[in-house]
Order: sequence, then structure tokens, then C-alpha cells
Amino acid sequence: MSRSTRKHSLVKRQKLTGWIFLIPATILIVATNFYPMFKAFLLSFKAGVGANMKWCNFYNYARMVKDTVFIQSLKNTFFYLIIQVPIMLILALILASMLNDRNLKCKGLFRTAIFLPCATSLVSYAIIFRSLFAVDGFVNTVLIKLGILSTGYNFLGFPTSAKIIIIIALIWRWTGYNMVFYLAGLQNIEYSLYEAAKIDGASPLQSFWKITIPLLRPIILLTAIMSTNGTLQLFDESVNLTNGGPANATITMSHYIYNMSFKYVPNFGYAAAMSYIIFLLVAILSMIQMKVGDKRYEG
Amino acid sequence: MKVKRILQYSFLTIVSILSVFPLFWMIISSTNKSIDVVRGKLLPGTYFMENFKNLLASQNVAGAMINSFKYAILLTLLSLIICSIAGYGFEIYHDRWKDITFSILLLAMMVPFAATMIPLFQMFSKAKLLNTTTGFILPTISTPFMIMLFRQSARSFPHDIMEAARIDGLNEIGIFIRMFFPTMRSTYAAAMSIVFMNAWNSYLWPKVIMTKEESITMPMLVANITEGYVTDYGMLMTAVVLCTLPTVIVFFLLQKYFAEGITGAVK
Amino acid sequence: MMKKRIFAFFMITTLILALTSCGTEDKKTDSSSNIANNAMDTTNDAKDTKDSNATEQTSGDNTLTVWCWDPAFNIYAMEQAAEIYKRDHPDFALNVIETPWADVQTKLTTAAASGDLSTLPDILLMQDNAFQKNTISYPEAFTDITNSGIDFSQFSAAKVAYSVVDGKNYGVPFDNGTVIACYRTDILEEAGYTLEDFTDITWSKYIEMGKDILNKTGKPLLSCTAGESDVIMMMLQSAGASLFDAEGNPDIVDNPVLVKVMETYAELVKTGVMIEVNDWDQYVGSITNSTVAGTINGCWIMASIQTAEDQSGKWGITNMPALDGIEGATNYSNNGGSSWAITSNCKNVDLAVDFLAKTFAGSVEFYETILPSSGALATYLPAADSDVYGKPQEFFGGEAVYAMITDFAGKTPSNNTGVYYYEARDAVATAIANIVAGADLKAELQNAQDTVNFAMGR
Repeated sequence: MSRSTRKHSLVKRQKLTGWIFLIPATILIVATNFYPMFKAFLLSFKAGVGANMKWCNFYNYARMVKDTVFIQSLKNTFFYLIIQVPIMLILALILASMLNDRNLKCKGLFRTAIFLPCATSLVSYAIIFRSLFAVDGFVNTVLIKLGILSTGYNFLGFPTSAKIIIIIALIWRWTGYNMVFYLAGLQNIEYSLYEAAKIDGASPLQSFWKITIPLLRPIILLTAIMSTNGTLQLFDESVNLTNGGPANATITMSHYIYNMSFKYVPNFGYAAAMSYIIFLLVAILSMIQMKVGDKRYEG
Repeated sequence: MKVKRILQYSFLTIVSILSVFPLFWMIISSTNKSIDVVRGKLLPGTYFMENFKNLLASQNVAGAMINSFKYAILLTLLSLIICSIAGYGFEIYHDRWKDITFSILLLAMMVPFAATMIPLFQMFSKAKLLNTTTGFILPTISTPFMIMLFRQSARSFPHDIMEAARIDGLNEIGIFIRMFFPTMRSTYAAAMSIVFMNAWNSYLWPKVIMTKEESITMPMLVANITEGYVTDYGMLMTAVVLCTLPTVIVFFLLQKYFAEGITGAVK
Repeated sequence: MMKKRIFAFFMITTLILALTSCGTEDKKTDSSSNIANNAMDTTNDAKDTKDSNATEQTSGDNTLTVWCWDPAFNIYAMEQAAEIYKRDHPDFALNVIETPWADVQTKLTTAAASGDLSTLPDILLMQDNAFQKNTISYPEAFTDITNSGIDFSQFSAAKVAYSVVDGKNYGVPFDNGTVIACYRTDILEEAGYTLEDFTDITWSKYIEMGKDILNKTGKPLLSCTAGESDVIMMMLQSAGASLFDAEGNPDIVDNPVLVKVMETYAELVKTGVMIEVNDWDQYVGSITNSTVAGTINGCWIMASIQTAEDQSGKWGITNMPALDGIEGATNYSNNGGSSWAITSNCKNVDLAVDFLAKTFAGSVEFYETILPSSGALATYLPAADSDVYGKPQEFFGGEAVYAMITDFAGKTPSNNTGVYYYEARDAVATAIANIVAGADLKAELQNAQDTVNFAMGR
């Protein structure tokens, strides 16, 4: 066998190994995700109550356009996406960067403290946030003392401020989560690169821009896609912090879908159709992000 | 230089305090009587043992803790093994087809669970997997995001040492176990914290698939306490503290691996 | 180091798996029997029974599986009922699986929608408001108990009506949601009023006195959760009105009672006599922190009020105000409450019916037992005459409030819940939130009606 043929079959065997490595995970996902997704997709073309569902083609999708609550939830969810995700990711990046500094003390404590919010149970953090921002709550007390307000402001009672509270809650909760991924990613960047840059006279900001960000790009892409997905599918905060209020000003699409399936008369066809709109939005945004951000540096 | 340091420490301290405050409130509340919690007491009380005893009397705490640990540990181990080797496979042996397959797999996370839950339940019911550990963990063992984490991290894995290892006679799986795994410790630590946390806190699917009282997990236990005409807030906070601690401890134990660096492990 | 840790995890996992047997269904963990050693109150004795029965399955001959929530209330009541029934049926066993209401709803819907009813229990507790929706959406999941021998006439008619669908009974009424108005008599006194002044009145009188009390003491008379329509629904039902008419059409925009209700609500908020808070915990807090001088809600609110032990003796109970100028307005209404439903998955319907008939639907002794320790009030009319119900309650000023409330229950007008109850409720809540914020009442009611019509697929 000639040398190139041997190398060729070696490469082939390696590629085959690659496939074997990913088969178990793939099969699990196809079975437990794609199959139910397919059934849900079929369901989105049916209408009816309970167990009597009949084919209705695009009726559910057309109906969505006239659904004022759904449209409101769409607007709300996008509002959260556009404002919360960038702020959160940038904050997480800055924190991870700081906590990667070799000369900083007590890193372990800081890291655990900042990770704590996402480990904190939803029940307790919801109670706390709601009571913090109550009319006679801690935040209002402080603001009154500082003279910024004269009487307590009902943060959760007005549409705009309620949305902002949700954004604050999301940033509080998920910054640590994303920071963990960045911290892990930062470990894979050779420290010698930073040293060399310092010798060449680069400032910390320049190192950050020219070394950290490009090399962290794969992980940044990961967190961007995860956050997009998470925010467009947001559920917990809408239910527990504001219950979608006031007057549907903060309700998210997932919350409305849940109501449609379990609180109201079950309308699974319609719920499935709305779920697929979410799917479409997340898929489009993620594909764009992948196209733009998923670069490989060979060698 | 000093000013910069002081600013850094101040910033980190403020962020940490803001992050920790709710947990702090939780712990304080678990030492107070319910009525004091409602009245906004911020100082620790002496009521912790009372709350704890009430909790043990009204809920199956030990059972829930054991169940939660059992499922979380099992799920974490299986998930790490299966997802890391998949991410490795997607990246190290990458070609156009693998990239396309991966992009398709990503779609799996994008439909809200409320829509897929019922077909999934139907499937598991037909497969007689209701009320089993397998049924509990199967849907979440493999997630596109975990695979993606390992895939993206594998980008920084130096390919040249793989060649050297092959020349030394190591086969592909050997490279994965002997070289990739030790090198990417920080990624595994991150993945382990996240997967454990998600497994521990999962509520909706376990609630639907487990129907026996003794399969209760900690999140279910906390939900039971919040449901009722009268909520005993002291007892509730005690339960919440118990529910939150394991994840925090796991993270604290693992987070030192975030300081490893890739150079240290390449020998 | 990492490898050692992974290895340790493996060992722990194997150990735990060996202890608790993965994959099989009925093994019970040993720890639950150790917990029962804590001798505190009857809940523990009941828990002993629960643990030893935990291994029985739904298909056992003399076992009934029940889904319900709240150990201090519903679960306690179920277990006491089991004790009483066991006296004549010693081999009876009860298996209560604690399940929050939201989960009962989710599991019921999941099971029914997937066509697999085998995971359902024998009996489940269901919110009265959800009966219509669930029985009409999934009729195959329930058992018709109209002619089972249970005497429904012994219960308050308004209460039974919730679980009647198409003239058939599906539920055995349980906990009482009769509306009461509670007042801090000490604060009333401070402003020169008594409980009598607040009995059998109208809302306009209530607001007039409320403004005066607010001026003199700085305390509103009432608080409620913003974004929920509890107060609206209570007022509506007090005049026998509903959000749907007899044919099931939404009756919102041209409903004169509803218009009056919304106007009254807006007036209450505007004058400051009622304050809106943002969630349930704060609502309870406003009562126990003395932020407000009273509350109007279902009688189950008494348990929350009583958590403020230092307020004992300072509370009084009477009936709620009636709507002004509305024909058929009364001082009585209902908010919440639940009933027991027998599912179609019940293998031994005769046993379930007999059990419920001899306890919840037939035993005054049962109701006497559960009242003192849990405050669980019945809608079972014969219980009202018992001594236990007639006992003066110190917390509420020494009045025999339980007998009073059961009397109120008998005077409550029925209403028509409707299948689309939750959709209508939410639409009305949205409307009132906007009206309070200044929007036009008629326009908002029209929006609400449009929303409900949309949800109904019209």
C-alpha cells in the first residue's frame, strides 16, 4: 500500500471514529427531542378541545395574528432579548476576565458568590425580589431616604418598570451562569500570550480586545445562542415575579403557551403553533449567530 | 496601579454582595418564625431547630434529598460522558457533514418544553418507562448545549499532541481519555456544575413522569410547602436552604479547576 | 485528582443505586419511617398511616389513592376521614400523594391528552372553578356520581352547583370558600365604629365609613392582589351574576352588574379604602402587619389571619357589603373552595363512593374532628348545628364564627362558572388593571369580551 493511500485510510478511520463518538448523544436527542417535536408540529395543524382534534391546516397560525395577548407577549419577549442579553453577557465577560487575574485574592469566594444567584431556588428569589420592589419595600425605602422619591413607587404595578424589574432579575440571575462558561474558556488561552503582549507594550484593554475576545469567540457564541434561546423561551420570571402583569405588560410567549395548555381550556394545537413560532425565531437568530460567529482557526 | 486594584476589589465586592443578599435573607429567614419573616425581620433568630423539626414532620426530607442526589449524580455522570465525547467527535474529526449534523441537533432545544411534554409522556408511557429512573433521566442526558460546550472548548485542544500520541501507539479512545479529559478539566468542571444544578432543580418533567410519593425530589418538596392556605415561611426557607446548598457546595468544590490553564496539564 | 473525584462519584452513585434500587417502582425509602418518631401532633400519627400504606398500588382491593395538597388542611382531613372509615372497615387503606394544585391540573391534562389515564389516582381534589373546564374537556377522565347514593342535598346548593355538569354530579363538596368580611375591631373602635355598623350594609356605606376610618387612623379597610380578579368575582357572585350567560356566551360588556362591580372597585382604589399589593405574600403581610384594618375573602383566610397570634381577640367577622342598586344583590358570596372528584381510573368505585359518603358526605363527627385543629370548614349543612361549630372563637372576639359562616354558606347565591372561566377571569383582571390606571370602562369591557370571544374560537 502506498504511503498516501495508507494516510487516506487512516484519515477515513479517524472520521469514522468521530461519527461513532457522537452517535449515542445524537440518538438520544433524536429520540427524546426530535420525535416529540415532530408530533407537536403535526399538532399545530389541528384544532379542537381535549381529545377531539381535527385537521385545520393553517388556522392556528392565522389565528395568532389576531391574538392581542400573543402579540403583546411577542413584543415583551423581544424587549427582554434586546436589552437584557447584551448587558448580561458583557457583564459576565468583564467579571470572568477580572476573576481570571492571577494576582487577585479570594477568587474562589467571589466566583461562588456570583454563581450563587442561578443556584438560588426560584421560589425564594421570587419572594425576595417581589418584596424588595414592593411599594413599602427595601428599594423604595432607600430611594425615599436618599430623597430621590417622595412616596413609594409601585415598580411592579406599572408596565415599563415591571419590565425593567424582570430585566434586572434576569441579569442578576444569569450573569454568574454565563461567567462560569467564560471562566472555563479563559483557561484554554495560553497565559504566555498575555505576557508576550505586555512585553510588546499592550495595555490591559488592548490585550482584552485583541487576545481574549477573539480566542474566547467559540464560547461567546455558545453563550449568545444559549441566552437567545433562554430569553425567547422565558417562563419562570413571567410566572413568579409578575404573573404576566400588570395587564399582560410582562407576559412572555412561553407563559402564554403554558396558560393555553394547562390553565385555560386546553388548546394544544394552538399552543403547538405558537411554540413553533418561537422555534422559528430562535432558529433564525441562532443560525445567523452561527454563520457570523462560528469560525475555526486551522493549525 | 493600586487605585485600579481597589476599584477591582470594590466592584467585585459590590457585585458579590448583591448576588449573595437573597441567599443571606433565606438563611436568616430559616432561623425565624414565620410571622417574623413576613414582618421583614433581618436579624437571625433562634427558631431554626423548630423550623427544621416542623419540616421533618411534615415532609419526607431525607427521601427527597436522597432521590435528588441519586438522580442528579447519575444524570451528571452520564451526561458528561456522552456529551463530552460527542462534542469531541464533532470538533476534532470535523468535516462538513458533522457540522451540518450539529447545526440540526441545535434545533432540538428550540421548542418550548410545554409543547413537547405531552408527546414525550405518551412515548414513555408506551415504552413502560413511567415512574422509572430511566424515564426520569433519559430526556436530559444529551443536550445540544452541553455538546456545544465541549465542541467549542475542543477548539483549543492542540492537535499536534494528538499526532504525537498516535505515533506513540495510542488509539483514538485512548487519546480522548488520556489527553483530552485531563487537559480540559476546567471545561469538565464548568459542565459538571451546570449539569448538576439543572438536574437538581428540574421540576416539570420529574413531576409529570414520577407518580409515586416516594419519588419526591427536593424541588417538589419545596413546591408542596408553598401550596396551602397558610405558608409557614420559616419552614419554607429552611427547605429552600436545604435545596440550594448541594449545588453551591458542588460548585465551590469544583471552581478551583477554573484556575488550571491548559499549559499545566499538557505533559 | 480529578480522576479520583470522578471515581468517588461513581462509587457514591453505585452505592446509592444499590440502596434505593433504580428502575423498579414500589420500593420505599427507609428514612420516612424514622421521621415519624417525632411526637408532635396528630399530623404525625396520620403520617405513620400514610407511610405504611405507601407501597399499596391503585389497584389494591381496599386501598384508595388520593391526590391533594396542604398537609395542614386537605391531607389532614383525608387522613382523619380514613381513620373514621377504618372503624367499620379495618382493612381499608389510604394512600395520599401530596400534589400541589397546579401539578394536579398539569398531570390530569397530560394524562388525559396523551390518552394514558392509568397514572391517575382514585380520587383527586379539584378547585371548584376548574370543574367545568376539566369535565367538559376530558369527560373520559371522570366518574359520574349522580346516582351513587351520596346525598347532595345536605350540602349548600351553591357549592354543589360547581361540580354539576350537564345535570350530572362529579364532585363531593369539601372545603368552604364562603366569603366573610373580617375587621380589626380595635381599629374600628378607634374611629368610633362597631362590627354592627358593618353588617348587612352596601358598598357605598362601606366606602363612606372607610374614608372616615382612613382619615382618623390612616388605615385602609381592605387590601387585594393587583392583577387578580378575586374581589370582582366575589362582588359579582354576591348578586348571583356571572361572566357567562345560561347558554355559555360571554356576558361582559352589557352586564349591568359587572359594570357596577367595576365602578365600585375603581372607587375603592381611588379613595384609598382599598389598597392593591403585588402578590399573595404581600397580601397576607398587609393583614398580619396591621397595614390594613380588615379583609374580605373566602373563609379560608382565617388561617392566615390567625398566624398573627398577637392580634387575638382583635378581629371580628361579619358578612360582606352588597352592591348598590342591583336587583338580587345579597351580602353573601363565595371565593374558591374545592371538591373531591372520582376519576375514571378508579378500579373500585363502590369503595370510593362509600368512603366519601360515610365521611365527607355523611359524618358530622368527621367535621367536628377536623375543625378545631385545622380550621377546615365544611359546606355540609348538618354540621352547622353541632356544638363544635357553635363554640365561641376567642381570636375573633368570642363569637361562634364557624356556625355563622356555615349559615352564610346556605345563603350564597349560585353562579355560572362556565367552561372558559379562567380565560374570562384573566380578561376581566386585565380590564380592571387598565381601568384603575385610567382607561375607559366600557372600552375595556369590550376588549375583555373580545378576548374571551377570541379564546372561545368565535
